[in-house]
Amino acid sequence: MTRFRLPTWFVLLLPAIIVLVAVVLIPLVLSLYSSFTPYRLTRPESLYKWIGTFNYEKAVKSAHFWAAFGRTVLLLTIALNLEMLMGLGLALLVNRVTYGQRALRTLMMFPMMFSPVLVGFQFKFIFNDNVGLVNNALQSLGLTDVAIPWLVDGKLAFMSILAAEMWSSTSVFAILILAGLFAVPRDPIEAAKVDGCTPWQSFRHITLPYIMPFIYIALAIRSLDVARAYDIVQIMTNGGPARRTELLWTMIGRTGYVDAKMGYANAMGYISIFLAIFFTIYFFRKLNAARTELGMAG
Amino acid sequence: MGKTKFSTLLGATAFVAIGGSAFAGEFDGVLIQAKLIGGQQYEALYSRIAEWEAETGAKVEIISKKNHFELDKEFKSDLAAGTLGWCVGSNHSSFASQYPNLYTDLMPYLPAGFIDEYVPSNVEASKIGDALVMLPRAQFDVSVLYYLKSAYADADNQAAYKAETGRDLAPPDTWDEYKAQAIFFTDAPNFYGTQYAGKDEAIVGRYYEMVIAEGGQLFNDDWSPAFNSDAGKSALAWFVDLYQAGAVPPGTTSYLWDDLGQGFASGTIALNLDWPGWAGFFNGEDTSKAAGDVGVIVQPQGSAGIRTGWSGHHGFSVTEKCDNKKAAASLVAWLTNEDSQILESSGGSLPTRTAVWEHVSEAAKSDPFRAEAIAAFKEGASHSFPAPQTPYWIEATNLIYPELQAAILGDKTIDDALADAAEAVDEMMQENGVY
Repeated sequence: MTRFRLPTWFVLLLPAIIVLVAVVLIPLVLSLYSSFTPYRLTRPESLYKWIGTFNYEKAVKSAHFWAAFGRTVLLLTIALNLEMLMGLGLALLVNRVTYGQRALRTLMMFPMMFSPVLVGFQFKFIFNDNVGLVNNALQSLGLTDVAIPWLVDGKLAFMSILAAEMWSSTSVFAILILAGLFAVPRDPIEAAKVDGCTPWQSFRHITLPYIMPFIYIALAIRSLDVARAYDIVQIMTNGGPARRTELLWTMIGRTGYVDAKMGYANAMGYISIFLAIFFTIYFFRKLNAARTELGMAG
Repeated sequence: MGKTKFSTLLGATAFVAIGGSAFAGEFDGVLIQAKLIGGQQYEALYSRIAEWEAETGAKVEIISKKNHFELDKEFKSDLAAGTLGWCVGSNHSSFASQYPNLYTDLMPYLPAGFIDEYVPSNVEASKIGDALVMLPRAQFDVSVLYYLKSAYADADNQAAYKAETGRDLAPPDTWDEYKAQAIFFTDAPNFYGTQYAGKDEAIVGRYYEMVIAEGGQLFNDDWSPAFNSDAGKSALAWFVDLYQAGAVPPGTTSYLWDDLGQGFASGTIALNLDWPGWAGFFNGEDTSKAAGDVGVIVQPQGSAGIRTGWSGHHGFSVTEKCDNKKAAASLVAWLTNEDSQILESSGGSLPTRTAVWEHVSEAAKSDPFRAEAIAAFKEGASHSFPAPQTPYWIEATNLIYPELQAAILGDKTIDDALADAAEAVDEMMQENGVY
């Protein structure tokens, strides 16, 4: 009788499989399962009570959930577009610099080194209505004599959060686009110049197609980041006041950890993941299209 | 080393060893793991743990030291993971009801009559049902009224207020008078009449005490919401009116305790309902621009003739899963005994033992401001009541506060905001099987 032996390829992959199962699969399955239970952190026994799709139905019927969902999509759309435009501008400017470019590139990365919690505190202070820098500057310059409620008014608070997000992450775009600009071949640009193209035409028809894959990679990375936005908003406004700045993950975080309703929080989390999946697929399709245009598909 | 010296040393060692075992503590060799609240103001008390260790022979290992919000998350994680091997935990009367199964009833482990030495209302607020789940430490909180004396001493203010209202300008005894004075004092954006905590549990706690002062209740006996009532509406109108009149800083809906404390200390707020821990800070030359100008009186009353008095206190609890509950209860009793409370209240916090209140009043006599503050807090404490003792208090506050904010900011009418909040709380209570 021959002893059963596992295939060699399987044995070799086994450590990786065990790690993946322990670190990724088990938590995923457990959280998915708990989203079908009324699981509360303070009542462990509630993990074993099956309530079907109750949590999902509750989330889908909740106007507050969809308002937070819509606000997250809005923040994602505006933040990504503005960061991309500013990052592109920054990268093009830095690309023209011939002296001290390395120092500039290092400087550009500074905001990325700050913890989002710190960025949140920083901007909370900057936009404080009473002792904040912005109001003090505006009042000192005689531009206003009232305390502008930056973190209270819905639109202003949204702009304040947007400013914090952009400050901390525009450099992600700038760095990636700059890497793309370094890879653009000089020959077509010089040929275009000889043929009488304007700088705009050279940029639009030669440079931009070359850097589009880099832009889409940055968009995909940042879309995942913003879809999960939590720290900065949590510190600056905690989703308030009156839910005016509530995003998906401030809502889910409060439900899970403060209200201890982990089952419901996980159900909202799983619905929210579709947002991240949608944007990731969208940007990867765009990335492939851009690569195909450059003859790089494969 | 000479032979004689060696023999003497050996003899001494043997004597100490024998003596040690002869005077062995009650809990020799017991290890108590504790999760305690951390922070400068709480540390002095922990120095007494070494004395308890020496007296009993037990050893205390502090395995976590965080603020209450962080501890709350940690306790919930421990409950979820079943990692409850530790014995003593810091607790708070506003949080305790969330963990009904985490802590044991301390009564069986305490000497008879021991609990009678605590202020009865604090003992009541330390229970879940009939179970005494914590012993209160000298960290009792109830809010009284701090005000700027100069605002009242100003002759122009006095004349103008008299002309405007027909009443003399004096620190308010009712919340209606408070509102009128706050609007009167406001000179935005440089000076505001008052301010209030504007989010999370803080604003719901303030609203809760105002509902009581207006003669209402936040919850009915079966825990269904009761605040969508005339008293509830009139309580919320107080917050809305002050905001709409511009008598509070526009950012007040995002303020919590630290923002309020810093605000009053900046000397730009006339009236401030606040906790005892701020008294020294407000009158400190180095910490406050209002130093020397701060008056303290008992908190005002609402239209029902009831004073506000939402209160809370810190305490220590023993886990149900603790291996040596008797030793843990002994530690908890030690940390809240008379000596411990005298030590802790010397830092400015309020005690929860009757005898220590007398001691604190006596000690404050040489300092007029401290004496004024202690007198106000002593009277304030007599009107105090705890947060609603339901495990769903924090969850309810998370449903109520966005609606209160919506009314304050004008997004909803008072009626709509309270109707929506009551509906959400009702649904939550039913979902949790409360009724």
